[in-house]
Amino acid sequence: MAMKKEHPVGDSKPEKEKGLNRRDFVKSGVAAGLGAGGALLEPSKAQAQVPPAGVASADWHYEVDVVIAGGGCAGLTAAIRARDLGASVLVVDQNFDVGGRMLHSGAWVSFGGGDPVQLRDMKGESDSEGFITVDPLENPEELDDNIELLFTDITDWSVVDPKGQNPYRYNERELVRAWAENCPATRQFMMDNYVRFTRVTGTHGGGGLSRARAARCFLMLGDKTDIKAGTITAEDAGVADFERTSPFAPVQMNDASRSVGPNAVMNGVALSRSLEFSAREKGVEFMLHRSFDAIVREEPFVGRTQGITAHYSPRHHPETGELLQSFWQNGNIDERRETVNIRARQAVILASGGHAGNPEVRSMFYPALREPAFPTSGNALQGSQGQDASALIAGMRVGANLAGMQQNLSYSTTFHISTRLGTRDAYTSMMPGHPTFGFRGSAGVNVGSAGFEEFIAVNQVGKRFFSEVRLPARPGLNAYPGDRGAPGRGLEHKPLDWRNCRKEWVREMYNYDHGLDAALAMNEGSEAPDYYSGPLWAIFDQDAVERTGWELHYPYVSDNGYFFQADTIEELASKIVAGHEFQRVPLSYLAETVANWNSYVDAGVDPEFEREADAPMSRIATPPFYALSIMVIWHDSYGGLRVNGRQQVVDTQGEVIPGLYAGGEAVGGFNKHGLGKGHVHGYIAGTHAVEEPSI
Amino acid sequence: MSKLVSGALSLAFLVLPMSAVAQQLEVSLIEQGEELYRKQCAVCHQDSGVGNPPTFPALSGNDQLEDSGRVIRSIHLGRGRMPPFPNLTAEEVLSIASYIRNTWANDFGGVTTEEVTAAREGLDSSGPVGSVWDGVITEAQATRGQVAYSGACGSCHGRRLNGAPDDPDMRSTPPLARARFMRIWEGRSLATLFEYTRASMPEDNPDSLGDQEYVDIIAYMLTVGGMPNGDTELSPDSQSLAQILIQPEP
Repeated sequence: MAMKKEHPVGDSKPEKEKGLNRRDFVKSGVAAGLGAGGALLEPSKAQAQVPPAGVASADWHYEVDVVIAGGGCAGLTAAIRARDLGASVLVVDQNFDVGGRMLHSGAWVSFGGGDPVQLRDMKGESDSEGFITVDPLENPEELDDNIELLFTDITDWSVVDPKGQNPYRYNERELVRAWAENCPATRQFMMDNYVRFTRVTGTHGGGGLSRARAARCFLMLGDKTDIKAGTITAEDAGVADFERTSPFAPVQMNDASRSVGPNAVMNGVALSRSLEFSAREKGVEFMLHRSFDAIVREEPFVGRTQGITAHYSPRHHPETGELLQSFWQNGNIDERRETVNIRARQAVILASGGHAGNPEVRSMFYPALREPAFPTSGNALQGSQGQDASALIAGMRVGANLAGMQQNLSYSTTFHISTRLGTRDAYTSMMPGHPTFGFRGSAGVNVGSAGFEEFIAVNQVGKRFFSEVRLPARPGLNAYPGDRGAPGRGLEHKPLDWRNCRKEWVREMYNYDHGLDAALAMNEGSEAPDYYSGPLWAIFDQDAVERTGWELHYPYVSDNGYFFQADTIEELASKIVAGHEFQRVPLSYLAETVANWNSYVDAGVDPEFEREADAPMSRIATPPFYALSIMVIWHDSYGGLRVNGRQQVVDTQGEVIPGLYAGGEAVGGFNKHGLGKGHVHGYIAGTHAVEEPSI
Repeated sequence: MSKLVSGALSLAFLVLPMSAVAQQLEVSLIEQGEELYRKQCAVCHQDSGVGNPPTFPALSGNDQLEDSGRVIRSIHLGRGRMPPFPNLTAEEVLSIASYIRNTWANDFGGVTTEEVTAAREGLDSSGPVGSVWDGVITEAQATRGQVAYSGACGSCHGRRLNGAPDDPDMRSTPPLARARFMRIWEGRSLATLFEYTRASMPEDNPDSLGDQEYVDIIAYMLTVGGMPNGDTELSPDSQSLAQILIQPEP
């Protein structure tokens, strides 16, 4: 891959490696076919991805009823479900700890269809443990839901979104039907596995507009961290010190006093650790540091699924070099062989996430985002093999079809420009104290959209490319409460009528912001064959710091190549070139750009991008001068393996691949943001996997 | 020019038959009214006068604007949950009234002598006006406000009140302190901030906090913005909050 160095933090790099491009890698033999998806893999690891054609019986290293690739929201749910139904279950995960992206999520779990927390809140009841002491946040008519309404609500392409391309219209209806029918049961299942849900409030993006369906997951602050009791210490929750996170909770937990009561905290930690605790208690086994490579089928495109192969993918502490360990150890299998073959007597469930972390595979959706300067969200937490398209790649090799390949383009969170500046990992919140903080080196400064009024943004050659004020804009999400289809909040939602929108909305929807495309546009520094657009920089001066109060100190920024400070613009430009891993060319125009900008400020007119129309403009003239990285985030993955309503992977002939299931971001054809999709997929897959004959 | 002279002058012209001079003055009055409307009123009623019913009533096409005395009294004294604007001069109130009665879908014309008399009676109650820099909050109130803010506002407006949510899954929101907040809110009163906030926030469940919590949260916002503490707390009362203007640091 074309980055300057493997280990960005505090590591110097010989000058000759700068600007290494894809052709160089092809020559050196690293990029071998699809396996190079693993642009992020070392050569030996890439070779480990070659599928074994028919593993002989003696070659199996492990054997279980159900093997699951990936321990995130879909995989962990599937594991517990299959275990509950009597199967032996092994979860293989490339990371050192369990939880995938669920662990650093906000735990917005949007189900509906008349699920148990909707019913609880309609009655005004507390939770079974009596933790919830606040009244319901939604009125009963906003919670009065059913499966038919939930189904039509996210298959109609009614309520057209501002991008003029409502993702629902492309959903596989069978998938959505199965999802809707399993939402209430999955909510109950999670509650039966220690997950505590707050009051329902609104929906999460893509959860449908006609009813309130989302609840978050909480724990209560207490003297000890005890999942059974529902308590967590302030230190573990990360609320004791805002500049530290704990090994238990990579991101700080949020105040849940409004949706639960005093001393309640919420986020993905409350969700992920609760499910993990239950899984381990029930006897699910985990093989961590192990990256799933390939599906073993009787014949390459024919016959039953027999198992998987997976390679050792150890993650070491960035400072001490020690092998990273999961927070809980019970149920772990410490296996360090380079490659192991794991036989599945009944089924393989692919829940290893999407493709957002694999620039090579990303290019099939948006070629400009082959640019490796921009990683996926939470890459420090997950490591280079997180979201690496492993399920998509392995599925294609056994004949799986793909679905929803255009849906990445129709959801505004998929790729966007982060308001968190000065860190490579700009979509998560690890602080010192969690072992993966060192992989990012800085937490970044979240300036919010308003902060973009305080600087100019330049590309890799130092030129402005868009109105900074509009750069982080994202079109609105489909979410309740909206003004287009909620009870008592405006337009009445009519199921099975695609025209559920205002005429004005249809006109407005074409007027969305293209800042991200401008950020990825070719510029004078883009060179063949990849024509990378390069990194982006926020340039400002000391006066901007005075205006905003931005905290430009550790742990928010550090000397990790994503933050620079200098007394002159020229010095700033050279520091960026010397210190940033993806700055392949000089910022030749930066000094001229700043001088031009100051003349625009003096004249009160920005002839390039008309910024005076949106916000006041300020000179960049008081040293020291600063540069913070601006990151394009590829967050969600839409588009992936084609599955049916039982989460069985389907091949290009429309035939089920026997014994192969998939869920969460590994699958396509179902555009719904976040956890609500993954948990239900896991629940469905776990249910049906154990119905497979044992072979 | 004192505000009384100014107001009287404008009133005199408005009640005269439409001579060329009067028409010219009325145009300038309406332009002034539009500018003031955008600063003081549009935060709730919108630039287009459509408001956001039922929380913020539409002014465009609103028949209640036909009664100009009612309009003038409402602006000056407040009405229901609409905050009062005691800091506006008679001329300023009249300019706003003239503007909103004769723009968008409205065509209610000038005002009558009786209406002016009634309006002037109302305008006499104007009192002294202070600033957020006068020590209008206490430390204890701001501390209570921080707790309330953390539960009700922090998830969207961020721990630093800069509009950057802590959860990266959430969109940015308007900052509630420092330079950007001041730029937007400068010139408005705390009554406008209080009524706007409790009528519209939290966005998914407006008016779900107690009035005391809303005013405590405002005290916390002012503290983060660097405004000094004093001896008395802000009271959740629009009439008294209207006497405190959000102004640049003196």
